[in-house]
Amino acid sequence: MTRAKIELGDVTPHNIKQLKKLNTVVFPVSYNDKFYKDVLEAGELAKLAYYNDIVVGAVCCRIDTSENSRRLYIMTLGCLYPYRRLGIGTLMVEHVLKYVEQDGNFDSIFLHVQVNNEGAIDFYKKFGFEIVETKEHYYKRIEPADAHVLQKTIRAPQPPIPLLNGSVPHAKTNGHD
Amino acid sequence: MPPSNPLPPKENALFKRILRCYEHKQYKNGLKFAKQILSNPKFAEHGETLAMKGLTLNCLGRKEEAYEYVRRGLRNDLKSPVCWHVYGLLQRSDKKYDEAIKCYRNALKWEKENIQILRDLSLLQIQMRDLEGYKDTRYQLFMLRPTQRASWIGFAMSYHLLGDYEMANSILDAFRTNQMKGPHDYEHSELLLYQNMVLAESGQYDRALQHLNKFSSQILDKLSIKETSGEYYLKLMRFRDAENVYEGLLKRNPENVMYYQKLMEAKRFSNPDQKVAFFDVYKKEYPKAIAPRRLQLTEAHAQPVFERLVDEYLRHGLHKGIPPLFVDLRSLYSDQIKADTIEKLILQYIENLTSKGTFSADPNEEKQPASALLWAYYYAAQHFDYKKQTDVALRYIDAAIEHTPTLIELFIVKGRIYKHAGDPVSAYQWLEEAQAMDTADRYVNSKCARYMLRAGHVKRAEEMCAKFTREGVPATENLNEMQCMWFQTEAAAAYQRSQQWGDALKKAHEVDRHFSEIMEDQFDFHSYCMRKMTLRSYVGLLRLEDVLRAHPFYFRCARVAIRVYLRLDACPLQDAPQTAEPDTGQSLCLSLFTPLTHQYDYGT
Repeated sequence: MTRAKIELGDVTPHNIKQLKKLNTVVFPVSYNDKFYKDVLEAGELAKLAYYNDIVVGAVCCRIDTSENSRRLYIMTLGCLYPYRRLGIGTLMVEHVLKYVEQDGNFDSIFLHVQVNNEGAIDFYKKFGFEIVETKEHYYKRIEPADAHVLQKTIRAPQPPIPLLNGSVPHAKTNGHD
Repeated sequence: MPPSNPLPPKENALFKRILRCYEHKQYKNGLKFAKQILSNPKFAEHGETLAMKGLTLNCLGRKEEAYEYVRRGLRNDLKSPVCWHVYGLLQRSDKKYDEAIKCYRNALKWEKENIQILRDLSLLQIQMRDLEGYKDTRYQLFMLRPTQRASWIGFAMSYHLLGDYEMANSILDAFRTNQMKGPHDYEHSELLLYQNMVLAESGQYDRALQHLNKFSSQILDKLSIKETSGEYYLKLMRFRDAENVYEGLLKRNPENVMYYQKLMEAKRFSNPDQKVAFFDVYKKEYPKAIAPRRLQLTEAHAQPVFERLVDEYLRHGLHKGIPPLFVDLRSLYSDQIKADTIEKLILQYIENLTSKGTFSADPNEEKQPASALLWAYYYAAQHFDYKKQTDVALRYIDAAIEHTPTLIELFIVKGRIYKHAGDPVSAYQWLEEAQAMDTADRYVNSKCARYMLRAGHVKRAEEMCAKFTREGVPATENLNEMQCMWFQTEAAAAYQRSQQWGDALKKAHEVDRHFSEIMEDQFDFHSYCMRKMTLRSYVGLLRLEDVLRAHPFYFRCARVAIRVYLRLDACPLQDAPQTAEPDTGQSLCLSLFTPLTHQYDYGT
């Protein structure tokens, strides 16, 4: 018997509804219209994962330049329940890692994870992510509301540049309501 | 024959220039020269010039003036073949073919041997299927131009169409031996195959076979040689030879269903076991071919054999995720035992896939892909929908959607289940959901529009179609231009259901016009196919056009139109705009009509 075919595809205005459906069932939080509008502009930073030609997973990232560094933030990365542990998440993380490597100008990759989501935490640890911080009451409408920040360092932190113009770290938007 | 009112040399030269301008489509110049002749008071009423002026005006779209001038010209010179020919051309351009034929005949009365008029006449005769007249005209053309290829071909074809195969064949034979000296090119090859077709239609398969074998080295369409000789062998009961031919054909294309059927015919199997064994051979020989695996299921009748085979077939389909698996197998459902066997297997798969991830309880079976359960649910939903068990079908399709909510096909099937259950509104809403999931998919787009029409939402359906029609043009206009008849027939029916009689008739007539147009389009092929020697296809086209209006689209629209006209006749519309409140007269009409409608509903 042949092996299942797993591949990544673009998010387009034509198929974005599939991404919405997927996110609705995979994540406990819902994302607003702005999130999906940005995703359409994200190019390689937003991909759908296909298993035997069916959309079963998706990854959406954005570039974060707060806190004086250039970091890749994974907003969502998920897979439909029946298709987990088949290498689909790995394919998506590898895609992100490859993107970061080819770009060559990222300091780190980071993401938020609900503190009780051990499966996800173990999953990211495999790729060299570590818990660097825990934010209390990060989520508004779900329990537990606390989130770990998982981070994978790409290059050693640069010596801080004095802030002559007093740039203010802007408030971060995570996209979800 | 000279015109009854000959022009002096100078004017005659001008007249020749009008003709040349007409042929080269320089209509403005043509009018200028006509004016030069007609402005001379001596020739102001010169018939042929007036006629040509009219014909030229017609080409510039000035139809009324055209008729005026042509008729005036003809009145002034009733014995002129030019005037009659021109009148014929004018009528022809106006699609009045019967009238045009009369004009050509009059023209020929005054000039019997005018090749151009004879040719034009023959085209009209074949278009109108005046086969006897066509034969006479082709005969005259043949006698006048015996060296021209088209003369022979047309002459032979006129006999073929009348069913005089012997005559057609001998003309073709004479032509081939005397005229076809050139290289054995494609046209030569097509001529031979056409001649072969004539022989076969005369029922003389032995002669046709001999002919085919004799010229096989000159025929370029090798596949045709094989397929037709196989046919002939079967007709002549030369089964061994037929076997050889079809075995060779299957080597070329092991997916051709007809070859398997003909080969079985040649092998004259007497019981189903032989047929099952026959397909086993081909499955082994072409392990990737689908046709022998599928055909075997049709032939297998013993339940245990069928179960073994369909089990294999279903597993393969569910493993790979072949969406039309149910549609592929549906024809087996006419056999209740087969349908029950499939149901048993599918339920067993679902149970095992849910608990163990495999199709069977066999511990050695490899794990199936995660999508196998999804496709099994999908199949089960269609299976129970087919059995009209709506609730069970809905349960399975919902299980599938819960499993994988991103698969568009699931929403289409969910809509279809509602459609079959008689709920067109829910049906189209689910199709709308499917459509939104991939707005670049034209199939889902069209399906969705059709479901909207079934639910009576014509406007919405038009908007849906507009996503794929040309921009800047109203969708209905573009759909009409593209002869999109599925849309127009459904729209006609939708309007009829909502008692919008005028709109229903408008759509029905649009479809009728498409059919007329297809008949018209035929015209160009009469001369084109003769020139290009694509004679087999040409005869096929003529036969298709003869039964064109038997098409279901035409029937559906004709039925809508007839019912609407009967309805309007029974209770004519009031001049005043209809009020929203139905008056008593209308409800009386409806009750009168109900039984009639029911009668017509059969045969949809």
